Amino acid sequence: MNKILSDIRAFGLQFLRTKVGAFFTFIFPVLLILLFGAVFSAQDGGSITLRVQNLDPGPQSQVLLNVLNGTGYFEISMIEDDVAVLDYINKNSIRLALFIPPDFSEKVSDGSNATVILYGDQTLSTFGVANGVLAAAVSQMNYDLSGASETISVVIENPGIDSFGAYDFLLPGFVGLTVMITALYFMTSTCAEHRSRGYFKLLATTTLTKSEWLSSKFIFNSIILVLSLLLTFAVAASMFDLKAVLTPMALVLVVVGAFMFTSMGMLLGIIVKDPESASALSNAIGFPMMFLSGSFWDLSASPTYLQAISKAMPLTYLNDGLRDTMVYGNEGSALVNLAIIAVLGFALFILGSRLMSWKER
Amino acid sequence: MSATCPGERGCVVTADWKDITPRALFYVPMEPAVVQVKDLVKTYPPDIRAVDGVTFSIPKGKVFSILGPNGAGKTTTIEIVEGLRTPTSGEVTVLGADIGRGYGAIRGRVGVLPQNFEPFDLLSPFEAVSYWADLFEVRLAKKDILDVLESVGLTERKKVMSRNLSGGEKRKLGIALSMVNDPELLFLDEPTTGLDPRARRDLWKLIEDTRKKGTTIVLTTHYLDEAEKLADHVAIMHKGKIIADGSPEELVTRHGKKTAIVLVGAGQEGLKALTRRGIKATEVDGDVVVSVDDPAELRWTFAKLSSIEVPYKEMYTRRETLEDVFLSLIGTRMEEGVLQG
Repeated sequence: MNKILSDIRAFGLQFLRTKVGAFFTFIFPVLLILLFGAVFSAQDGGSITLRVQNLDPGPQSQVLLNVLNGTGYFEISMIEDDVAVLDYINKNSIRLALFIPPDFSEKVSDGSNATVILYGDQTLSTFGVANGVLAAAVSQMNYDLSGASETISVVIENPGIDSFGAYDFLLPGFVGLTVMITALYFMTSTCAEHRSRGYFKLLATTTLTKSEWLSSKFIFNSIILVLSLLLTFAVAASMFDLKAVLTPMALVLVVVGAFMFTSMGMLLGIIVKDPESASALSNAIGFPMMFLSGSFWDLSASPTYLQAISKAMPLTYLNDGLRDTMVYGNEGSALVNLAIIAVLGFALFILGSRLMSWKER
Repeated sequence: MSATCPGERGCVVTADWKDITPRALFYVPMEPAVVQVKDLVKTYPPDIRAVDGVTFSIPKGKVFSILGPNGAGKTTTIEIVEGLRTPTSGEVTVLGADIGRGYGAIRGRVGVLPQNFEPFDLLSPFEAVSYWADLFEVRLAKKDILDVLESVGLTERKKVMSRNLSGGEKRKLGIALSMVNDPELLFLDEPTTGLDPRARRDLWKLIEDTRKKGTTIVLTTHYLDEAEKLADHVAIMHKGKIIADGSPEELVTRHGKKTAIVLVGAGQEGLKALTRRGIKATEVDGDVVVSVDDPAELRWTFAKLSSIEVPYKEMYTRRETLEDVFLSLIGTRMEEGVLQG
């Protein structure tokens, strides 16, 4: 045990002195939660700038604009009547604009089909919001003009916790991502560096065994990742109205996740011969996992084949497990995800420790 | 009185008839060899025999040097003996243990400085020695660690990150690590390669001091002067085989001439002039060397050389060295491990 502790201490000193390691383990997840949290918080409270060219001299266009103004979603800014709206949009790189034609009030009064045109980049989330609000305003005007009222309405409620925010969803994803980066990337590069610089050969001349070395790496990764989780959670809780909770299960998931990704990194480290190829290989495996395991967004709306791929990504189970326990309070589901990670980690550890050799062939 | 040593266990000592008493013929017990290597072979695909049937044994407390050019198979041999490389065939026993069954119990009794040793960049020498001692389960107090660093001359540099040490200092740290467990057997694989003359001399002194403490040392090198100065026994390796072995004196006696006459600065012109007069000579770094087998011929050879018009700066005699033996055996000189010509 003394040898393992000594190896942890020596590795820890080197880890902290590299600064890169400390950055990705402690600073990176905090930066992610601060940046993404700020972005989503701003979107919750901010308004969308809507450029409007109103060529209609009648009253109905003013009614529509008043309704839009009253929603609080828009900051309306007018385009001069004497410019061509499309030229103006292109020339000024306008992302969202509303065009009201000259005969709008006339057609509304006649009861014929009056139209307005919403110009914009449909890939932007602001377009979706604007489109939804505009459709609701137009519906409201239609009800008023026809003297009808809404008979079916939708009430939205969160089944989990009250006012569940974007950062509540993101926090477990960022924690999972940090576990993967720290354990997988650093274990792969550590193995490659140990081999290329002859450290494995050097260690083989001591009484430290391979299993003791592997145990020390797993324990070290677990310690720093639990600390990283605590730090990220503390920062998120102090900066945002966080509703996610830190549970014992989350800590267990981080430790078992560290074990699984350390074992995976060890396995990759057997294949690679130098730190450059270690970086390439861990990126090739880590990058798809980063984006297809639900760290940044919910994958339930993504195409079926992407959802199938995400099921093959070990990080998916860690992210799901962390969300189950931290956000939804579903310990049973978290336990299932924990079991999947543990079994996979054990299989990778057995395989890696059998294949890894400090000897030259 | 004479002695023959048929095996590892001891020597039979015999005496003249007149000396014989009931106790005159006896068996002297000897310590078993610390390292025994028999018919060691290492091949690499497709059919490269890096080590080709090497056999040797190393007695306790001696410095055994494996000498040879780069690619001779020195490091492969020593790494197999260290348990860091798997042999293709052959038997290796270290400190009485068959290494085919693993180093296991003897690992803590052996110290190793691998070839091209690189310390952990982000640990200071003090931290590295402390760490290494823990890995051997050796308890070292702060003072003990400082003593280890002092023994290799790194006291002043104890807190410097290892990546900022010079090549010689890194090698000294490597030796400190290899000795942290006070090993009975120490392997030093090319410990002075690439070092400046002063750093080499410092390390030589360190090796001599270690040997005085009774440690058995296995030293691979391609420096002939290093082997000659430090080793009790030298095995010259070439193309995977040991082509000669013995003490430096034995090797010189067996394979070299007794004396060499050196014509300083004679160069190619001098070599041609001597060759024309039927004198066998070689050119080494601009000097011409004439080897003399029989000391009785020395005066005659001097006289003959003086009678030939050879442009030299000075002439002197010297005892032949391992370098001359190497030249005689391999047929070419070696510089920094590379065979010339």
